[in-house]
Amino acid sequence: MTALERAIRHPEPVLGFADRSPVDGLDRRSVGFADVLAQSVSAVAPAAAATTIPLLIASAGGSPVWALASGMLIALLVASTVNQFTKRIAATGSLYTFVSRGLGRTASFVTGVALLVGYGFISMFALAGAGYYLQILLGDLWPASASTPLSAGVLIAVMAVVCAVVLARGIRVSTRVTLLVESVSVVIILVLVGALLYRNGPTVNWSVLSLAGTTPTTFAVGAALALTAFVGFESASTLGVEARRPFANIPRAIFRTVIVAGLLYLVASFSQVVGFAALGRGLSTSTSPVNDLAAAYGIGGLGLLLDVSIAASFLACAIASITALVRVLFSMGREGLLPSALGRTHDRYRTPFVAVVISVPVLTLSVVVTIALAGSVWRAMEILIVGAAGGYITAYTLACIAAPVFLHRIGELTVWSALRAAAAAVLLSVVLVVYLVSESTTDRYAGVWVFLAVMTVGIVFYLVRHLRRPWLRHAVGIYDVPVGADVLGAVNGFGTMNGHTVGETDAVRRGGKAAAGS
Amino acid sequence: MIADGSPVGLHARQPKAIHSALTVLEEVARCGAGVTARQISDNLALPRATAYRLLNVLVQDEYLVRMPDLRGFALGRKVVELANLVAPPAARPPEAVRAILDRLRGGIRGGIHLVRYEHDGLRVIDPDPDFPPSDRSVILARLEASAMGRLLVYERSRGAAPASVEAATTPASRATPGAAPTGHAGSRPRPFGEIAASGYASQIDGVTDGYGCIAIPIRDRAGHLVAGLCLCAPRERIERPDELVAMLQRGAEELAPLLA
Repeated sequence: MTALERAIRHPEPVLGFADRSPVDGLDRRSVGFADVLAQSVSAVAPAAAATTIPLLIASAGGSPVWALASGMLIALLVASTVNQFTKRIAATGSLYTFVSRGLGRTASFVTGVALLVGYGFISMFALAGAGYYLQILLGDLWPASASTPLSAGVLIAVMAVVCAVVLARGIRVSTRVTLLVESVSVVIILVLVGALLYRNGPTVNWSVLSLAGTTPTTFAVGAALALTAFVGFESASTLGVEARRPFANIPRAIFRTVIVAGLLYLVASFSQVVGFAALGRGLSTSTSPVNDLAAAYGIGGLGLLLDVSIAASFLACAIASITALVRVLFSMGREGLLPSALGRTHDRYRTPFVAVVISVPVLTLSVVVTIALAGSVWRAMEILIVGAAGGYITAYTLACIAAPVFLHRIGELTVWSALRAAAAAVLLSVVLVVYLVSESTTDRYAGVWVFLAVMTVGIVFYLVRHLRRPWLRHAVGIYDVPVGADVLGAVNGFGTMNGHTVGETDAVRRGGKAAAGS
Repeated sequence: MIADGSPVGLHARQPKAIHSALTVLEEVARCGAGVTARQISDNLALPRATAYRLLNVLVQDEYLVRMPDLRGFALGRKVVELANLVAPPAARPPEAVRAILDRLRGGIRGGIHLVRYEHDGLRVIDPDPDFPPSDRSVILARLEASAMGRLLVYERSRGAAPASVEAATTPASRATPGAAPTGHAGSRPRPFGEIAASGYASQIDGVTDGYGCIAIPIRDRAGHLVAGLCLCAPRERIERPDELVAMLQRGAEELAPLLA
């Protein structure tokens, strides 16, 4: 009889598995690959980014296609490094939990704050963006309706209510809604791109791809801006508990999100550059390039469709980003780092209900205040996106530093994974510095200061909280562990083994109790 | 789901990989729970990167689970499913058991089979030589169609039920809620609840038209289903089961201490 057969016939009692995971209460192992992919893709909001980021890069003096290609390369490096964690840890705290397993709690606090800033600011950005484009739509449909910051505020509040309901009703509802919305908007973008390239005719002027006139600085700024088009791809990792087969589905979803979004960006930016070159204009002379192109090529009717798709993409992005945000808050609530109420789940819907009910009004109020202070919705969005990008890239950098340390700790470090993580960490650090410095010289400088201020306040809050509660040192970084039912021969607190009474001595049973109770 | 249900494409290089994966499973079984990736790679003389990749693939497919410390590995419950598919034929039951079965077969007209329940599956360990039972794959494909399958389905739902419900149905059994992963399975109606009331499972026309069968559970002292005594006969005899059930139950009582 082989060892495997023996183990199956007479499972050795395995101690140390509890009946319930520390993140119990969520709808464990309930969503499949499509839902996990939807979470990441929606958080990236490729349709909205494909129409806005090429313009931003061109305005900064970079070459959109090349910048987006190098942004995609960095994003792939980061994704493969983050996946070293997602293949091994199923958590709701995403990078915050991962970094705690590599670099310890102080670095994980910084990551946690950065991640909350990233998810929080991008949610606010997306809510504001959805309101902005809905307002344009309403203005087109009923020219009489006044577009004031007040009406935008009302629209944003309505959409925040929609987000809260979808989020509270269960993870399947929110991922399905975002999947549908995001797919529709990507299809609309692809239709537009196809129409543009078709109208442009078979002769493509490849010289638009030349890098002449690009300096290393403008290239770096372009790459940094391009990376902001990808941020959010890691958010599938907040579904570590709720995903089925998380160690397979989450890494796959993260990787494919970068690929799908990257290809869409390359095609979209190429068609925009080619389209403007054929018109004899520069991309940066336009304020709304895809709308202008559509009008110039006689398909202006599609402009309306485009506004619908961007508004939808923003709404999906808001839902996905808040989904990720509340799960990080849930993790911190369970650990005691934040009030424990945030770690409570809804009995029936099995979602982090309290975190949703608290965070959605806070985010909505912050958006409205930001719009009031900035004077217009667009200005507010510019400030928010800078803060979000700063938060994400900071968190990615720390995760890439933490990955090799973590792998070394569990004895699974290999040369290639270390090299990829090191390359990603170096590139991300460069991108972060270049991005913040270059943004601080533009009229979006307020975003840089808001980001730095929020990060500082957040980190001080965590350090004070931690000084008052020294026991948190052992609580930080919870993740889903296999429960007894997943393990062949696991002994739980009842002294039973996978439903069969353990026939062994009392010592085994006591050992099981001790292990389950610890 | 896009990836979950996709057919597995087997490529030319994969047989080697499957061999390595099975070797890794075997090694985890040999070393016991808690063995680390590095130990496995050393023991099997596999390159580190290959061993880590294989381990992660096996964890992804849940044949292995990571221990809570993230360093060690243990066998997942899924290996049992694999084992039930390829398990070797079971040994014949002891002489004393066969003697009881022969006596029952002499007294009752119809196919009498002895079924063993183990590792969350079932296996006919002594089929009636004169009236062979349906093919095992037929029974396993639709457990709820046959009486012996219904006993297993009922037993699984019992394992997932909360202690209070279970104690009420089988006072002799110990509370065993260990198999309930989420703790809310008890709210669902249990399949084949009539088994609790009558003490046996039966079906008519489920497997073969015009025929039915009865399965009497044989339990150990802790109340776990270990075996089943099945009678397959034309439907008109199964429709009037009282006398047959009484005979079979007497036989099951004799068999219980020999099988449990």
